[in-house]
Parts: sequence; structure tokens; C-alpha cells
Amino acid sequence: MDFKLKRKSIKTPISGSLKETYPHDLQFYKVPPTCDINLQEFETLALERVTLLRTLATATTLKGLRLNSEEYTEYVLGELRTQGLKYYARLCEKSGCAETAADFEARRKDHIAHFILRLAYCRTEELRRWFVAREMELFKMRFAVMRGEAVDVFFKLNNLCYTNITDNEKNEIIHYLRECLPYQNIDNMKFYKVKFYEVLDLVKTRKVYLSGGYAYIPHRDFISVLSALYRTHLRQSLAIASQHLGEIEQDERLVSLLKGLHQSYSGNDYSETKSVVPIESLDSLSLKSFPLCMRQLHEQLRMAHHLKHGGRLQYGLFLKGIGVTLEDSLRFWRDEFTKIMELDKFEKQYAYNVRYNYGKEGSKRNYSPFTCLKIINTPVGPGDCHGCPYRHCDTSNLKNKLLGYGYDPQAVHEVVDLAKKGHYQIACSKYFDTVHNEDVGLGINHPNQYFEESQKIIKGGIKVEPKKEKVTIKKEEIDDLEGMDFDEPL
Amino acid sequence: MVGQHDENLLSDMLPIYYTRLFPQNIFCRWLTCGSYPHPVSNRELSFTLADDVYIRYLSINNQKDFQTLLQKKIPHKLDIGGVYNTKPSIARHDSVVLARELVFDIDLTDYDEIRTCCQEAKVCEKCWKFMVIACEIIDKALRDDFGFQNILWVFSGRRGIHCWVSDYEARTLDSPGRGAIADYMCLIMGGDNQNKKVNLGSDNIHTSIRRALNIIDQYFEQLLEEQGFISTADRLQTFLKIMPDENLKSQTEKVLAKMSEASLDRWKAFLNIYNNYYRENSNSSRKIKYLIEEIKIQYCYPRLDVNVTKGFNHLLKSPFSIHPKTGKVCVVFKPGNAKNMKLDEVPTIYSLLDDSSPDNAQHQVNMRVAVKNFQEVVFSLEKTEAMRRRNDARVANRSIATSPVDRGKAKI
Repeated sequence: MDFKLKRKSIKTPISGSLKETYPHDLQFYKVPPTCDINLQEFETLALERVTLLRTLATATTLKGLRLNSEEYTEYVLGELRTQGLKYYARLCEKSGCAETAADFEARRKDHIAHFILRLAYCRTEELRRWFVAREMELFKMRFAVMRGEAVDVFFKLNNLCYTNITDNEKNEIIHYLRECLPYQNIDNMKFYKVKFYEVLDLVKTRKVYLSGGYAYIPHRDFISVLSALYRTHLRQSLAIASQHLGEIEQDERLVSLLKGLHQSYSGNDYSETKSVVPIESLDSLSLKSFPLCMRQLHEQLRMAHHLKHGGRLQYGLFLKGIGVTLEDSLRFWRDEFTKIMELDKFEKQYAYNVRYNYGKEGSKRNYSPFTCLKIINTPVGPGDCHGCPYRHCDTSNLKNKLLGYGYDPQAVHEVVDLAKKGHYQIACSKYFDTVHNEDVGLGINHPNQYFEESQKIIKGGIKVEPKKEKVTIKKEEIDDLEGMDFDEPL
Repeated sequence: MVGQHDENLLSDMLPIYYTRLFPQNIFCRWLTCGSYPHPVSNRELSFTLADDVYIRYLSINNQKDFQTLLQKKIPHKLDIGGVYNTKPSIARHDSVVLARELVFDIDLTDYDEIRTCCQEAKVCEKCWKFMVIACEIIDKALRDDFGFQNILWVFSGRRGIHCWVSDYEARTLDSPGRGAIADYMCLIMGGDNQNKKVNLGSDNIHTSIRRALNIIDQYFEQLLEEQGFISTADRLQTFLKIMPDENLKSQTEKVLAKMSEASLDRWKAFLNIYNNYYRENSNSSRKIKYLIEEIKIQYCYPRLDVNVTKGFNHLLKSPFSIHPKTGKVCVVFKPGNAKNMKLDEVPTIYSLLDDSSPDNAQHQVNMRVAVKNFQEVVFSLEKTEAMRRRNDARVANRSIATSPVDRGKAKI
């Protein structure tokens, strides 16, 4: 059986001992593996790495742990061990250049598995984003635990040579460094000068001193430079891999597996609906079956007869998801907007957007309604009403709004309290219970899921079984896929 | 406001404007230089015609082409897009945008919640000050922090300003890079449901923010008075909602509500209250450490349309296009001169082409100044581009001669 992963970008075929091939726990995955492995190992390695990446996703999104905090590392390592992925735990724990057989074996598996997943995840932009975000987390975590000599070896192995600035240079700018950096012992740190676009994540969060196009960074911020390099490398590799999918897919045994990996992630994205909801019923539906984020957009639209772009997108896609047809949608937006503008202006400036949401304009993609994670992480600017009310409303505003709807003050207090603590989705679930006067305790991950659950209660009177375990975890995975914007600057 | 009558006139006047007054030559040089190393024909232009028909994916080879195209289509609005890998009019499916100036769009409508003199499309000398501040702060950050040199500032024709950065590094920056710069500049976050939109934390204030505050301070008191940020009861309430500390809020309310309505007096009284409160309440001081700075930023700092900056191929109105609603020319101005700009002195197509108009002479002069400003930026761009290319050639030669020990970037 020949399972060579044929790739054109092979520079130097791997030869020689394992020691030469895998000198370090952390690698940039520059050269694809060229050895033979059997089908079963192929499959096991792929699934194990998916489990690893899923664990990382759970740690940040579901558990809400901060990347590379102590709890984060502890949680990830613990999970890996309980799931029987000891070799990943080994690689993530210390990240060094030890030379036991177990180390080499772990590195080999890591290497092969990474390349298998590239094939599985290069298919669509969404998959690519999810994959890159997870691999970045993995890389950062492994770099962060690297100590002393291992760091130097890593730099040397990868030909990373940067020189630090002189003391004179540093003294000239030390005042600014103190002002811009969140660290205490600036005086003892060595600083490096790199172009600003090498450390975009630091620029984005304003955690670096910039002058004349250069960023001055201490050694500990070097991870930014490396992860930027790694990200570019990974993005390009995925693009290349996707061009070669055809060759791989001639082998049916691989196709089903690789596609299967992908399948386990794509659940219901609510871009197709069966039911049809007439727009006349939106007012009444919005009272009970809309989550608060959509209800406030609906109310804003009825009141101001206008929504800004972000609001139109979030609300428009939600409406599509619950089953409002394109024709109805156009009529709905037109009726409101033309109260403050000429019909002509609406047709020219806004109708395009509505059709675009339904995949009839532009790139003609059938866009999925936004998930909670996407909405929570969406930027909200002056004049905007979209976003997640539990996150983007001041506590007092949220409270007044809910009290204004006439809900029980005790319940309102609970919702507001949850929102204040940052449990936006649990707050939403509590709101759901309050509105429906039941104690369902749903895990809300998607506004359209909220809508469907609500309709179930209202129409069927069926008691929704709070199948927390299965439902929430599966949904969570879906969300990750689409809600990656906060990891991946667009 | 300009009526229908005038818009009809436009179709007759535009051909003359494009031939006689539009700086075609310098415009084409700007586009050519800003598209390098790709030919100018890969650059997308888009026209909006008289009846709002929108044509995308146009392009030109040279000035002669441009003139012919203008005369044939007579666009009422002229937009510029990105540089594609091919001619934008041919293969549209696999074409990608390779480069594009880094652009910023600041529009006074985003200031509606704080400006009190005008709303929506209206603009006056008073609220123009917001644009002056925005221009100074952004220009300084682009030059000092990011090291950009070729920066073009353009009046958008009605109520905003555009900024085009043509440096090679800026033009080739990818979308995440643009997003990072936009986020670096963006301090005001949150929508209609958040009252306090600026959070500086309690660590040191970043050098770039410190510099922005220095610029704001030059205008703050004047703006405060002119706009009356905290004069009426309503505005005072909005102001009080920013306070993150209930005690400070009620103390402030008690004092200010009783005072006269003059915003400056009220502000000074507030400063007193704040200083005393801050000194006495060291335990809650972390939350309000930079409250004064945060308020100033919320009321004065530039409000960017971030999406325009992030998008790689967002179309943006060209310099010297005519704004179809006002007839005003999108003039190029010097960032240092923004504060002296008078909106009614911006030339309009009507005054420029009508000898009998009382503004004609003055507007002619202003138009020439704007063209000269444009020229200066383009000449300097051509110079730096030439230098950059010479440097690149030299580096390339040298690395052929010696064995290449490149930086990590190329290796990975």
C-alpha cells in the first residue's frame, strides 16, 4: 500500500535518523512527511489530533479560559491525559529537545497528524480559519512552556536571527517603552527592533511601542513575531494543499475519512429552512420567540425605520434563518425604510443588501445566520444596535429595558447579574426561561436555535428535554467554526 | 440644499469640468505610481452615472484613455478601487486584489450623538473642528508611529474627510494588517446601548494616546463651549451616564444641575469635584483614574469607519470628483491646514464654471491651491518610489553576489 502524501512543495526529502528529522518538540512543519503508514494509523492520528484541537477550542470558548493562563494549560494537559493522548501532553508540557525514543515517536506522530489535518481542513475558508486558529493556539502554548536552552536551540534550528538594539538606543526611548508596555522590569529587558507588520497582534491591542514603522519588543513578545510567521506559512500551505486535493481524492479510502473529519464539525448552520414565516407575524413573534438581540433590532427598526449595516446583516440573516422568504424580506425592509426615504433610494442602496444576504448578489454565497459567538465578538460602533445585548449593553440600560418589558424584577436581576459576570449565553438562556415562564435551562448557541426551541414550546407544548450534554457540546463545535473572527483578525 | 434643477445641469457641466479643471495628468501619475509594480490598467475605477447607474471594473491605460472614458460616460461620481492581478474588466472570477492604498474614512454622521450644532448630512464651521482634530491625530500617528510618508488628505465633498496612504508597505498590507492599524487607532467602542465608550484601564497611557490627548487639548475647551456638550439637562444626563462611579456621579449632578448652563463653567466645576473625589477615594480610584482623558476622547477623538480601512477593495471617492449632492469638489488639502479650511470656500462646479458667480474668483484660486497640494504629494510619492526601487535593485544585486543569509521570514 502506498500512502505517500504527494506534495509538490517538497524541498528536501527527509532522510537520516529520527534525531536529525525531529530535533525539537516544537516545529514549523515546513517539510511534509514522506514515510509510509498504514490506513489505520492514518485514521487514528487524524482523529487524535482533531481531539487535541477540540480540547483547545473547548478550553477557550466553552470554559472561557484565557489563552496560556495557568488554568488553561492545566485544563488542556489534564484533558489530553484523560483522553489517552499522552504523547501530545508530553509535547505540550515542556517543549524541549530531549532525545528519548518516546520523544521522537511523539514528534513523528505530531508531524504526520498535522499534515493529515491540513488535507482535511483546507477545503473551505471556514474550515481553514478554524484549523489555523487552533493550530496557532497550540503553537503559542507550546512556545510559552519552552524554557532556557530549548528556546535558543529552536531559534537556531529555524534560522531565526534577530539582533537586539544597543543600550544607547534603548535609553533614548526607555521613557516611551515604560509608557507603552504592560511590564514592570523594562530596565532589565533586552529589546529587538522589528517592522510593525511582524507583530500585528501587538499593534492591534496597542501593547507595543511604535516609532517610524518599527516596533520595539522585548524577548517575551517574540511569540508574536513567530506566530505571525507561522500563521502566514500555514495559510499559504493550506492554499497549496487545497490545489492538490484532486490528486488525494482519487483514493477513495482517504476521501471518506478526510471528508468525515469535516462532517463531524458541520452541524445545522440554519442557512436552509423548510418552514415559511409570514412577515405579518414578526411583531408578535418578536415578543416571545426572538432572542433579545433580535428583538431589540426589530424594535429599533420599527421605531427608527432604519438600521445600520451591522444590524441589517445580523437581523436580515436571522430572518432568513427563521423562514422569511426573499420576497417578504424585501417587502419588510422596504416598508420600513421608505417611511424615512424615497423608494428609489431604498432600491438603489439597500435592496442589493437584502438580496445579497439571500445569496443573489455579489459572490452569491448563501450566507449563514450569525451564531452567538459571532454576535458576541462582533465589533459594535457608535450608532449601532446590533451585537449581543448582554455584552454590548450597559448594565443599567439592559435592566431598564427588561423591566420595561414587564418581566419579574427578580428574574431581571438574575439575567443582568449573569450578563455582568460575562456569562452572556447563560443570561440569554435565563431570559428564555423568563419569557416562556418555564425552567428549561437551554444552552443557547444560536439565535435561530433560540427561535426554534421557543416555537417548539409555544406550538407543540412539547416539553423540551434539556439534553444538555449532547446538544450543547455538538452545537459548540459548530459555533467554533464560524465564530473564529476573534482569533483571526480579518 | 441643491435642487433637482442643478443636478440636471451637472450633466452639461461635467464634461467641461473634466476637460478644463480636473487635474487629469497628475491624477494619472498618482494612480500609476500607486499601482506599481502592476500597470495602471489593473486598477479598478468605478463610475456612477447620471441616473445612479453604477459601473464597476473600469480601468484606463493612460491619460488619453481616461479623458475619452470621462467624455463618453460623464460620471457624476468617480470611485477608485484596488489593483488587480489582471485588468479588472477581464477575468472577474479568479481575479484578486493585490494592492491598494491604506485608506481612512471619517464622516461627521458618526459624530451625531455628540455634536449638537448639526445632524446627519448637515455640517457647519463648528462641527468641522471634529474633522480638524481627526485629521491631525491620524496624520501624526501614521507618520510618527507607522513611518508612512506619502499621505493624501481629501475633503469628501460634504461632511467628511478621506485619507490615502500610498507608501509601498501600506499599499501591500493585507486585510488583517489593515485591521490591526485601524484597531490601533480606534479608541471609541460600543454602540447605542453603551454610555461609556472609552476604557483606558489603569496602567500607563500609551504614547500614541498621550499624543492624541495633547492635540485634543488644543481644541477641547473651545469645542466644549461651541457645542455645549453639557449645557442642557439632557446633555448633562448623557454626560453623567459616562461616570462609572455612582458617588461621583451624584455629587457631580448635584453641583452641575444648579449651575448656569455654560458648559465650560460646568466642566471646570466638574474637574474640581473629580480631583477632590479622586484624592479622597483611593480605593475606587482605579476605575476613574483616567476618567478625564476618557471623557475627552469620547467627545473629541476621531471616529473611524473601520470597515473602510479593513476592506482591501473598498471603493472610495476619488480626489477631485464632484459630490453629486453638493456640487463641491473633493479638494486635496494639507493636514496642517485643515483648521484654516472654510467649507463655503471649497470650490463648487457651479461657481468654477460660472464667471458671473460672486465666488468665482476666490474658488478658482482655491481650486489651484488644491491641485498644487495634490501635485506636491504625488511628486514626493514618485520620488520615494524611485528611491525604493533603486534600493531594492541594489539589495537584489548584492544578495546575488554573496550567498543569501536571509531573515527568518524567507526561510519558513
